[in-house]
Amino acid sequence: MADQLLDQVRDAVEGQIDFEGQRLAEMITTVLLGAAGILAFFVGFMAQDIKLSVYIGLAGTALTFVAVVPPWPVYNKNPEGWLSSHAAAGITIDVDGQKVG
Amino acid sequence: MHSSLVRVQNVFGFFTTVAFTVAAVIALSTFIHPQSPSASVQLRNVQIVRGRPHYYSYKKEEYAHIKFDLDTDLNSLFNWNTKQVFLYLKAIYPSTKAGQPASEAIIWDAILASDSAPWHQNHYNHPVPKSKSKPKSKKSAKDKKAESPYPPGEIHLTNQRPKYQITDITGKLQNRTDVVLELGWNVQPWVGALVWTNKKTYGAWEGLQGGVSSSFDFPEVGKKMKDLETEKGKEGHRLEVGGEHPVRKGGRA
Repeated sequence: MADQLLDQVRDAVEGQIDFEGQRLAEMITTVLLGAAGILAFFVGFMAQDIKLSVYIGLAGTALTFVAVVPPWPVYNKNPEGWLSSHAAAGITIDVDGQKVG
Repeated sequence: MHSSLVRVQNVFGFFTTVAFTVAAVIALSTFIHPQSPSASVQLRNVQIVRGRPHYYSYKKEEYAHIKFDLDTDLNSLFNWNTKQVFLYLKAIYPSTKAGQPASEAIIWDAILASDSAPWHQNHYNHPVPKSKSKPKSKKSAKDKKAESPYPPGEIHLTNQRPKYQITDITGKLQNRTDVVLELGWNVQPWVGALVWTNKKTYGAWEGLQGGVSSSFDFPEVGKKMKDLETEKGKEGHRLEVGGEHPVRKGGRA
């Protein structure tokens, strides 16, 4: 019971996502932060207000953190079909001529 | 990017890159902002008095007390990246020994805050001209944020008293010749480099027009002796002469 609970907590904290999700997260980070930076400069320059630039930049960064850091379901759409431990049972592994598996 | 911690590090790492890049572009963007500063400085009155550097000093030195008129139009120095402009007025006089550089001493300065800077007690409050002041201005003078009658880069001072009396390393100042008053500044940006007075034109930045007084001579000690009228109150705390012993009208001989 306690082990199950700990596993759930660990999964929530680790927030693992699959390989396709990692590629997507990387892309979203780059696009969102880059767009926020460009927008921050041009809006601030047009309005001649440097504080506006700071706030737009910080808001874009906060948005990026929210969008990328939690393991949203979007990032787990392509789970890897790992072999189960049972399927691996028939395989023998040699290390320096000694059977270890 | 497989776990939350790695994603946090990744996003923060790229954020620092973006923030630094945007800051660099902002710093560079000020170079296309045209500048055309102009100023005129004129001497009003100069006196040389003898005094002590501090109350318990046995040494007497000569101090120059220079009153001046100053009119500036530095509004073009204030672009979206300007935090404040430190404006100063120097008295420059040649050395008595040949081949040595001229001496420069600041007699007055002011921190001109841009509109984007938060209020600070050290910011310069331009005195309201008497013709413009209204009977209600006494009430507003007590407000925390005193309103300047002019935009931040504009200054119109007549017969302004110096903030600092100056002396020379030799302790002698009387009868020195070819003294000029010269205006200078530092533009302090929000991000980017500190910019000093430019006399020449660089691209969109024109050099300072005027800003140097015609040359004059320091008189003898005691000539034109009047009330010293050095700035008092918080502006005058760095005053050296008579710091603990305020000079009264017609007092010190």
